[in-house]
Order: sequence, then C-alpha cells, then structure tokens
Amino acid sequence: MATVIKKYPFETVRRRMSLLPAVLAGLGLAAFMQGQIDPDAKQFHPKDNFGKTANGGLNNEFLLLPLLGFREAAAGLLWVRCDEFFHSGDYDAILPLVRLITWLDPHAENVYITGAWHLAYNFTDANERSDRRYIAPSQSLLEEGVENNFDIPDIKFELGWQRYDKIKDFKGAEEAFKLAVATKVNKNSDDFPYGAPLKTLHILAHTYEKQGRIPEALEEWKLAIARSEEMLARSPKDYSAKSLHEAEVRNYAENIQRFNNRYSTTGHDSVNPSPYPEVLEPPPGSADKTPRSWDVAFKPELRIVRPKVFKVGGQFNSQDGARIDVRITDWNYQDRKITGTLNDFSVDPAQTILIDSISVRKNHFEREMDMSKDPKMYSFSQDFYRVVLSYNPRTTAPHLLDRFGWSGEGMTDAEKSHVFMDTDPDRTGTAYIEGQGAVPPVWDGKTVPFTNHSQPLRLIKVTYKISREQIMNQKPISENDIVSVQ
Amino acid sequence: MVAIAIARQTVREALRRRVFWIFLIVAVFLIGLGPVLGFLTPKESQTIMRSLGLAVILLAGLFITIVTCIYLIPVEIERRTIYTVLSKPVQRFEFVLGKFLGGFAIVFLSIAAMGAVFLALVYFQGTTRGPDAGVLVWLTSGKFPKEMVLGVVLTFFQMMLLAALTIFFSTFATPVLNFFMSFGIFIVGNLSSVTESLTTSKNGLTSAIGKIIHYMLPNFGNFNVQNAIIHPTTEISNQGVFIRNNIIYALIYSAVLLILAVIIFDRREV
Repeated sequence: MATVIKKYPFETVRRRMSLLPAVLAGLGLAAFMQGQIDPDAKQFHPKDNFGKTANGGLNNEFLLLPLLGFREAAAGLLWVRCDEFFHSGDYDAILPLVRLITWLDPHAENVYITGAWHLAYNFTDANERSDRRYIAPSQSLLEEGVENNFDIPDIKFELGWQRYDKIKDFKGAEEAFKLAVATKVNKNSDDFPYGAPLKTLHILAHTYEKQGRIPEALEEWKLAIARSEEMLARSPKDYSAKSLHEAEVRNYAENIQRFNNRYSTTGHDSVNPSPYPEVLEPPPGSADKTPRSWDVAFKPELRIVRPKVFKVGGQFNSQDGARIDVRITDWNYQDRKITGTLNDFSVDPAQTILIDSISVRKNHFEREMDMSKDPKMYSFSQDFYRVVLSYNPRTTAPHLLDRFGWSGEGMTDAEKSHVFMDTDPDRTGTAYIEGQGAVPPVWDGKTVPFTNHSQPLRLIKVTYKISREQIMNQKPISENDIVSVQ
Repeated sequence: MVAIAIARQTVREALRRRVFWIFLIVAVFLIGLGPVLGFLTPKESQTIMRSLGLAVILLAGLFITIVTCIYLIPVEIERRTIYTVLSKPVQRFEFVLGKFLGGFAIVFLSIAAMGAVFLALVYFQGTTRGPDAGVLVWLTSGKFPKEMVLGVVLTFFQMMLLAALTIFFSTFATPVLNFFMSFGIFIVGNLSSVTESLTTSKNGLTSAIGKIIHYMLPNFGNFNVQNAIIHPTTEISNQGVFIRNNIIYALIYSAVLLILAVIIFDRREV
C-alpha cells in the first residue's frame, strides 16, 4: 500500500516562518541573560593565568581536559601523582606538576603551600643545607597563591611562616600574618566567626617579639586571650581552648617579666635579683659596678683546608647556645626578585650562596663546610666572594637575650669595627633603655606609644672579601681580607 | 498528547541502545573510584572525589547526550518509520517537540542516575556528615553539601542545552556532521571566560566577533561551577541569582533551538 505523506501547503510553511521574530526575540533574550550571568560567572571560573605566568603555555592534551570542564579533575589526579613522587623522593619531577596543578586549579591552596615548602626546604646540599636560590621562587609561588585565594588565610600564614622560619625576615612575616588575620570572615570556614585561626595571633605575637617590639606583642597576646576566652565561654569543656588560653596568659606574663628583668631597675624576679637592668649588668666579680654592655670579644678565623672546603671558627665570649651565622656568596650576589607570580622554577647555575650557623660552646665555635661536593649548588664561577660571619641577637635563645636584649643593647665588642648598627626602619625595635642608639623617649609602658620604634638592631659582624684563587686553596686567607664594608 | 507519546517512545528506544548503558555503567564505575583516593588527607580526598565525580558526570553526560540525540530524527528518516508517524494526524512540530522532550528525558535520567551515585558516595565518605549520622539527619543538618547538588543540576541544564542543539542540527545534518558541529560548539561555548574577554578587545573586528560568539552561541561555560564548589572554603556571592539566570538562559536558548528546528523541519522534504 502506498504511503501517503502529508504535504504542507505553502500557507503552513509561511505561518511557521512567522515564528522567526520569536527566534530573534529569544536570541536577544538569551544575550540579555548572558549579560546578567557574566558578572557572577567570574567567581566560578579559575583565573586565567596564561598571559601572566605561562611562557610556553600548556600542551594540547592538557588543554583538552580543561576545555571539557575537567580542570579540577586533571589537577586532582596530577596531585595524586605528585604524592607518589614525594614518597619516592623524585623531587625534581614535582616542580612542573605543582606549576601545572596551580594553573589548572588556582584554588588548590594545599598545592601552593606544599609546593612552596618543597622549594624552600627540600633542595639541599650533601650536608642538608638548603639551596637558598629556591627561596625567591617559593615566595613567588606563595604570593601568587595568596592573590588567587585572597579570602583564605592558609597561604598567607604559610607565606608568613616561611619568612619567619626560613628567611628570618620578621618584618615581612609580620605583614603576611597581619594579612592572614585580616582575612574576610567566611561562614563555611572552620575558623568562623574569625577570618584566621587562633595560631595566627600567636605567631604574630612571636613575630613582634623577634623584632624587639614587645609592647605590640603584648597587645597581640591580649587579643588572643580575649578570643580564647570567647571560645571557652562558648565551650567551657573545650580542653584545647583551655590549654591555649593558659599558654597565652603565660606568654603575656613572661613578656612583661622579661622586659622588667632585662631593662628596668625594678620589678625583677629570681632570674635577675640585682638592682641593675640585666642588659647592662656589671661583669660578675668586677669591682667596677658601672652598668655596661657585654664585650663578646669576637675573634673569627677563616681558612680553606682543601679546594672549596672552608674551616670557619673562632672565639665568641658568650654563654653556650649562641649561634654564629655564616653566609658565603658571590661578591655581587643578588637575590632573585620576588615577582608575586612564578614564571620559572629554574635557578641561576652561576650563582653561589650558602647560609649556615654554628653553635658556640665554651666561647668557641668551629665547623668545616665542604662545598666541593655540590657543584650544581656551589659553582664558584665568579672571581670574588663575600664571607660574612655574624651574630644576630634577634634569632638567639632567650637566656642570651636576657643579657644581650631584644635588639642587642647589652652587647658590644672591644673591636669597634665588629659592631654593626642596623638602622633600617624595617628592623628597628622599641626603645627600652637610654643611651643605646635609639631616639628617646624610651617605652615606659604607659605614656610612650608602642608604635615608636627607633632602637637599631646591633649585630656583631665581620665581612671577608676573598678570591676564587683563595677558595681553590692556592692562596691563604688572612685578616687582611677582612673588609670594612658591612 | 501526541508529543508526549512520541517522547515516551523516544525514551524507550534510547534505553534499548547498548551504547547508552555502556556509557552509564562506565561512568558509575568511574565515580565509584573516588573513595579509592582515601590515602590522601581528608580535605584533599574530598576535593579530588568531588572534582572527579562532577567531571565524570559531565563527560558521560556529554557523550550520552550527543550519541543519543544525533540519531533521534535521522534514524526515523533512514528507517522510514517517520512516514508511518507523519501519515497519522501528527503535526511536524509535534514530532520535533516529542523528540526534544524525549531527548531531555534521557539526559535527565542519565544525569539523575549518576548524580544519585555521586551523592551517595559523598554521604558514605563521611567528611561532611559526622560519625554515625543517618541520611535524614545529614540531609537536614545543614552539613549536607548542597553545592554538590548544584553542580549536578547545572550539569543537567548544560546537557539539556546540548541536547537541544544536537536535535536542532539533526533536523538538517547527517549524524557524523552533527557530532562534530555539536562537539565543536560545546568546546567553543565552554570558553566563555575567553570569549568574554574578546568582547572588550580594542580591535573592533575582534570585539565584534567576540560579541557574536559570546552572546549568540550557546554559552556552555556558564554552567561550569566546579572550581568554586569543590573547595568548601570558597564563598560564592549571588549564588541563587546566578543559578536562576543560568536555568532561564538554558530554557530560553532551548526554546529558540526548538523553534528553529520546527521551522527547518517543516521545510524539509522527507
């Protein structure tokens, strides 16, 4: 039987064509809706960093996945692979993956944090000394992470912690921790109703202590105490909040007591029963009771025992526990610029930098530093090198701070060229005692504002300028190689 | 109603196709792999499981939608069954509408099945529910990750739009051509952040082309919200308005494609 197909008359088709204006109106409406969606859509789309950070871009196979909406899945699977590399010790393979993952998923904060930690801590020489050339890339990675995750405190905290612990840049650490504390409150966060965890206040207080700015540390401890009291009011049986609160109260009291012991003539405890401020205590057994700074009598010795092997030692008149910092670099070494975004993980193979510290025992310190085993880290490809031996009271133990003070006010050297006053405003501390280089008035705990920092940081420091010839043990190092430049 | 009857028949036929089931079973299997990554920290494990789950739903939904919908009309013409249908008192627009509704139903069924498995895994992973919490407690306690449902729902509307596009192409293109056109527009439509930046280009021609692509082509990138929702600490402002606008967008654009499909199919000789 023949099939009968309905034929549409011309009129019907024409009627259907009358729908075209509806199509146009619909498209116009869709375009309008698109305009409405665009402003909100930005927060759902990972920031495209290609113009900013990619020199070479991604290969097609990596681009295809994101095109299909697979960015985060690809990032997650790559991170799993990274984890395997960590466990197998294949550290070099991790860096490009970290870069890829943070491109694919700029909200992967743990990848920024772990990647930066890996860069700063895991590339070491044969004696486990970090390759400092990776510090700048590590900082750049964290800064990029902060920019991409500004509403999350974790990366800011890590940025601060690296500056505090690894670089000893306490001013930089303070800025990062303050940024973390100021993080916008997020009701989805574990820290709600605060922007950052309580530990951020604690470390910020310690950062002030490291800068000799105790009044600000005290203010920070007060804020922490108030917060832990709020936590305890909400959950009186919270053991963690209780122990944190106790620690905060103890630290607050300890800072006040240390200030009294070290800088005042009153309010002492059993640690300092004498009538003198401890940083100016006359030498024990001396008939002369004039308050004075302590002469550390620094006598450095620097030798090359074999090509590229340094013997660093000397005398330093202090109690045990002091550490002499050693920094060996190209004479014109400059840290790589921290750019706020990471373009390149590679380091300059022509640069040489070593940073270490040697502990003082019975007024003596000594260490052999073998830089011959790691030519990739220590190429010694320049003509001249700077060797700096120094003592920084800000990074020393509390029992030494009791005598030397937070800014080294109680410390000096009979050899005046060894004493270096660092007047950089980023490193000045609070002025606590007259006549130690600060601009009066000194902090009295009541009337002088605590933001008044003018106490220069006093360092004991000696700088050598030595040649490649000397490093290759073809010519001895002598006191004549000590230069006055600081 | 005729269109509903055609839609019902379309779904029955689609469910008989092995390729549909293969995609669905493989997808469910892949979603089930998420908890295997439990050796990572709970936060990382949760992030990876969620991103993997949503990505698999999207990928499987993409293939199921395209592979199913490109054949809905051509296969009727090729097998000549369309003659039987159109010789009955069935308008062509009812036929196209029925195919659209059938296509949407298939997309809904597949996304719903995968979404249910995915949400069950999120529940059993336990990161958000707390120890020993039952399903009802979890759903009502506020700890239920509503954003995961949001991800699945937006994927459904994304696939609905893709189904409309594919069925529209199927009114005049061969299945092979249709596959490449639909897939190509899906990829271009996913570059919404790029096309939006083109609209503000200083070059007039680039800006004009950018505007045409961004505002006239279906914008699939609107529905990709995975990055914000898999990270629990990310705060999303205007979420309700954003979702509503996207759903309205998908419905309007699908309606436009349906009208165009009707117009073209009316003029087509079969």
